[in-house]
Amino acid sequence: MIDHIELSLTQSLDHCIKCNICTAACPVAAVTDKFPGPKYVGPQAQRFRHDRQPSPDSSVDYCSGCRVCNQVCPTGVRIAELNARARGQIVAERGMPLRNRLIARSELIGRLSCGPHAPLVNFGLSFKPARWLIDLVMKIHRDAPLPRASTYSFRSWFKRRRRTADRRPSAVSPSSEKRQVVYFHGCSTNYYEPRVGKAAVAVLERNGFEVILAEQNCCGLPLISNGDFATARKYHEANVRKLLPYVRQGIPVVGTSTSCTLTLKEEAPEILGLTSDDVLAVAKGTYDIFEFLRELAERDELNTEFRPLERELPYHPPCQYRAHRLGRPVLDVLSLVPGLKLMESRADCCGIAGTYGLKTEKYQIAMDVGAGLFEFVRGSGAELALCDSETCRWQITHATGVPSQHPIEILAEAYGIER
Amino acid sequence: MQMLETEVLVVGGGATGTGCALDLAMRGIRTILVEKGDLTHGTTGRYHGLLHSGGRYVAKDQQSATECARENAVLRRIIPHCIEDTSGFFVITPWDDPNYGDRFLAGCHQTGVPVSEIPVAEMLRREPVLNPRISRAFEVPDASADSFLATHTVALAARNYGADILTYHSLVEIIRDGDRVVGAVVEDLRSGERKRISCAVLLNAAGAWAGKIAGLAGVTVTVVPGKGTMVAMNHRMVNTVVNRCKLPSDGDIIVPIHTVAVIGTTDVHVPDPDVYGIEPDEVSFMLEEGEKLVPGFKQYRALRAWAGVRPLYKDQDVASDRDIPRTYKLLDHEARDGVAGIFSIVGGKWTTFRLMAEEAVNEIAHRLGNTKPCRTADEVLPPPNFEHRSYPAPGGAAGHRTDHYWLGKHLAAVEAEHAYGDLICECELVTRERMLAAINSGASNLDDVRRDVRMGMGPCQGGWCIYRTTALLYEQRAEPDGVSRQQALADGAGGNADRPNAHFSIQNANAALLHFLQERWKGMSPVLWGDQMRQARLDELIYVGVMGVQRLRPLAEQGGGLVTDRPEVATEYVKA
Amino acid sequence: MNYDTIVIGAGIAGLMAALGRAERGERVLVLAKGHGTTHWASGCIDLLDAGDDPLGAVERLAAERPDHPYALAGAAALERGLERLRAACEAAGYPLVGSPRRTLLLPTAMGALRPTVLVPATMAAGESRQLADGRPTLIAGLRELRDFYPPMIAANLRAQGFAVDGVYLRLPPTDRSKEFGPMIYARLFEREEFRAEIGRQLAEHVRRGGYARVGLPAVLGLRRASEVVRDLQDRAGALIFEIPTLPTSVPGARLFHALEEALRAAGGRLQIGSFVQRGEASDQETGEGAVLVAVYSEAAAREQRHGARRWVLATGGVAGGGLRAEHTGELRETALGLPVRAPASRAEWLAPRFLAEGGHPVFSAGIAVDAALRPLDAAGRVVYSNVAVVGGALAGFDPIREGCLEGVAVATGYAAGQL
Repeated sequence: MIDHIELSLTQSLDHCIKCNICTAACPVAAVTDKFPGPKYVGPQAQRFRHDRQPSPDSSVDYCSGCRVCNQVCPTGVRIAELNARARGQIVAERGMPLRNRLIARSELIGRLSCGPHAPLVNFGLSFKPARWLIDLVMKIHRDAPLPRASTYSFRSWFKRRRRTADRRPSAVSPSSEKRQVVYFHGCSTNYYEPRVGKAAVAVLERNGFEVILAEQNCCGLPLISNGDFATARKYHEANVRKLLPYVRQGIPVVGTSTSCTLTLKEEAPEILGLTSDDVLAVAKGTYDIFEFLRELAERDELNTEFRPLERELPYHPPCQYRAHRLGRPVLDVLSLVPGLKLMESRADCCGIAGTYGLKTEKYQIAMDVGAGLFEFVRGSGAELALCDSETCRWQITHATGVPSQHPIEILAEAYGIER
Repeated sequence: MQMLETEVLVVGGGATGTGCALDLAMRGIRTILVEKGDLTHGTTGRYHGLLHSGGRYVAKDQQSATECARENAVLRRIIPHCIEDTSGFFVITPWDDPNYGDRFLAGCHQTGVPVSEIPVAEMLRREPVLNPRISRAFEVPDASADSFLATHTVALAARNYGADILTYHSLVEIIRDGDRVVGAVVEDLRSGERKRISCAVLLNAAGAWAGKIAGLAGVTVTVVPGKGTMVAMNHRMVNTVVNRCKLPSDGDIIVPIHTVAVIGTTDVHVPDPDVYGIEPDEVSFMLEEGEKLVPGFKQYRALRAWAGVRPLYKDQDVASDRDIPRTYKLLDHEARDGVAGIFSIVGGKWTTFRLMAEEAVNEIAHRLGNTKPCRTADEVLPPPNFEHRSYPAPGGAAGHRTDHYWLGKHLAAVEAEHAYGDLICECELVTRERMLAAINSGASNLDDVRRDVRMGMGPCQGGWCIYRTTALLYEQRAEPDGVSRQQALADGAGGNADRPNAHFSIQNANAALLHFLQERWKGMSPVLWGDQMRQARLDELIYVGVMGVQRLRPLAEQGGGLVTDRPEVATEYVKA
Repeated sequence: MNYDTIVIGAGIAGLMAALGRAERGERVLVLAKGHGTTHWASGCIDLLDAGDDPLGAVERLAAERPDHPYALAGAAALERGLERLRAACEAAGYPLVGSPRRTLLLPTAMGALRPTVLVPATMAAGESRQLADGRPTLIAGLRELRDFYPPMIAANLRAQGFAVDGVYLRLPPTDRSKEFGPMIYARLFEREEFRAEIGRQLAEHVRRGGYARVGLPAVLGLRRASEVVRDLQDRAGALIFEIPTLPTSVPGARLFHALEEALRAAGGRLQIGSFVQRGEASDQETGEGAVLVAVYSEAAAREQRHGARRWVLATGGVAGGGLRAEHTGELRETALGLPVRAPASRAEWLAPRFLAEGGHPVFSAGIAVDAALRPLDAAGRVVYSNVAVVGGALAGFDPIREGCLEGVAVATGYAAGQL
């Protein structure tokens, strides 16, 4: 995880040779004066921060965490992570506005919204006067793309279809023929888009895996991004406890949300400073689903019985892939589907950056950042756009009107799996 | 030759000299100070920036310890913007005598150095990178001090009280009338012009050069220049001064000062305070010592190494160099050597500069029949105009300001003013406004500007800001209407004589750039590896590859009131 | 995923090599830690700082120094490489002008004159022969761009006998008021209303001063620089030329973009943000050194394995990050751990003068290679038979001091691309 040059997160500021390549590439600095750029708020400002003195700066709050800076940095400064830590420090000192505390609690909001009453919630949140009021009071922008809650949760669906079988982890027999995998659904799949989870389960089963629905909670990323490290630590440690038994048995944890998997792999351990063996074991055992499928393909173990799909679709690799540092597993895997052509978006970022673009003061920045991507999607003329990250999908659809899906859904379609 | 007349001529523009000029001026004594380089050219500008608690001296030099303890409190009061209250630890590592701890405590109590023992767990909580094998830790009121800023502050106050501070004026001759010193001849290095200054008293406050200056008057003062090498590390891995708790020796202190942490130092006697280099084994020795305090120290990025020479005064009755105390002494040459009209204030350390000045000026004032008391311990001094008057306080509450230095000060100021687009030196957060103020306060080369506002002292060691500052220097000094620029400069410099007296050309600006590039290289070379080497190569790409500065060498000329090519003010003299 | 060729390093040398192999039908991937030297340098193609006929000088150099990269690549590779590069830039709408037989002297942002060979057309009107034609030149900038100072540039050019004035323009109204880095300006100049206002001011200066040409900082557009310069010329009524200045280099970014586009058009892939930290050799011993079968790049929670038949190492020396000096005096090649040819001891690394003639010996350290660019150990044996080393990573020359940084990159990159 730590390369032989890097020593610690704070120390990585030592790598900075002040070249401003990061600032030149930053999509947020390109559209707003409020963000002085990653070098300034990251390795440069870090030399002026004192862990026992109040934070002298605030502009770091405008960092969206998209990690274009990390990607282009010649020397490996962990700029986005430095910024995240600085934001966490500010929150620790100055507290967190109620709005941030609320939107960071994805699991709570999901649980409250999802269910038979979901249509009511969704209507309320699309009702203009209600949104206007929320904007005024809570500073969540009236036009921000809030997701639509599902009438049923993914977990309830999964449990219903497995109700008759005995699937508790302890009952798994080591001599079972099927290989096993834990599916980490995350809040978005569970409460908003169970169809993504359904597709993922189907694809994994089509490849001979038995999918286990482990106990899990919100990965805590919105808490990390908003700087509530104390609560994020609790969430992550709880997830580690829940997932550890599987990982220790060599059962991988696979997720469709690139943000959840990144959080488990690296973001929580690094930014929160959690380095126990258990934390690292769970990190090592976590995979993005397309990363996982690509590894199968590299070992010639991927089921390649695809129906041809004569489609040309725009695909936007979400920013989290920069942090995963794995290239483009979706392109690698979907290139095996005959007839399917993916047009890779060359845009840096859709702008939403998790909860960033929901906030009144940042909404327009987010829309400006994503402008290039929206133009690309609209210009493709396609009736569907693909992206692995849920918040990006909601932003893309909101800005372009084009519906969006997780690439796993296209893969499921290629396997002939009915929706 | 221009003739100037004064009561006291102070030689030496370090902390001691300027402190004396202030004290003299405050008592209404006409004073001229001459310094051959920029203020703090000597030891004052080359040490690690420690405001001593006195703890270092409690075992072997108790007088120094007590002096430091008292002056520590005074300086915090009178120049708060120069002092950062970092606090200090004395720690017993596995390499130190475990019994020294009690001796240390006792020594502190005897000398009046405030001390308290803290649990090692507390020490680690506050400074997590310190060696977990440290067995005991003591806290003392060490602090870090910006000696450049302090000296400029004191000089500004002295000027405001009527003293004349003449930098880049090198002493070439001391004039005696029989057994009495009556004046001196100085050369303005910026123009070559010589001036004759007649005085009633010459106060030799030239620190490590005191012996050379005394020699010009025909008296012997033995100063053994003790070279100390230091290394600045790119960021503050500790925010507290950390000392090895043992008898003082080399490489036993880390000082967090501004944005860097300085590890020091060595002690090598050199014959000439103007000529010395930095040996590779000094650097590696200090990094090894750093490992004892901070495991992994060698992995941190080193920015540069430099050395200063301690002014070790060897009294006539001291047998060996090793026994030279660090306290100071006022030498009345009339009594000591039969030469009247000249005093030397020798030895000492930065922390006690004000006290040294007080004692010297008490004596001199008495001789001149001036009975005004010393007030330097009471009056709070205002900062120079290239420094913020006050800055947002830690906590950032709007409207709340503070006079003290704290690490986040410059960042908070830039954030409050939304001035991030206006940074000329990005590493050290120097805005265009501050840079111009520094240039216009009489800078005679870019190194002077560096001392004022830390331009070029950050990780990139000037990669961007040397170019930008040279351009600003050119624009400030060379306007088509030369007279109006001179006038503006005169106004900015406080109505004093620190004016370049020649028209400024692009050749002069080029010389300034080349000179400062070489200055930076000098300090980087001893610690060039890892990230800093990559930085240096990028800087080379910028200046050689993109800017082509080597092609401007034929178009570089000292002049225009700048001093860029005089051996008098360069150690390890290597032309750019 | 497996490739025919993997190139490590995305500078000019790496991209040229990747382009060559991709155009010959190979499946090519370029892995790079980030951006680098290309985004810092002037954006011109320097061949050699040696008099009027650079190609002739290269040929002589190659004869005198058989270990020099120019000797290894050959003059033919240099010429063909330059042609290929020109074609790529032309295709991106960003033509380069010049000839390898003729040195051009271009003004720098200090006002010095720098020798180079191929320059973007956007810089051509500033060449010294034109500056010397007797008609006056104006250097114009904007105060808000802290990286460009017309008075100083003009003064140095005047001191060299040219008729040049310097002036600051007024910043046209924009929705930004604070941070103006080079990339921000590049985008502003691509807006018509911004250019119109600048053009108006320039026209006024040109009218009053009779200037034949105006030198501006090299921020005149990122993707549409040629169009921006043409438009400004029309509006100003004088020739416009750009002057490269402090990093981040907009002309450098344009070069990178042109090569990236050419590579993508040839089907090549680029994965930035992946730091190659070790290699894996095959078990088999061949007669001629080991065979590199895979490299591992640093990823979140693990490494990513990349397999290929052949490899190009283009990681660039100390500047590029391909070589790293340790405080112990060791010089390490950071991707594959290849043996480094370097000065015998640290005492010989650096000259006391920063501007010493010939530079500092440590920066000529690098990987020694044979005629096929294969890396050699200290005894002259081939280390890997299927690896070619190109560009700044090569031993025995100082690209900055010799003025051959881009030339060597093009020549060796092209040569490796044809292997």
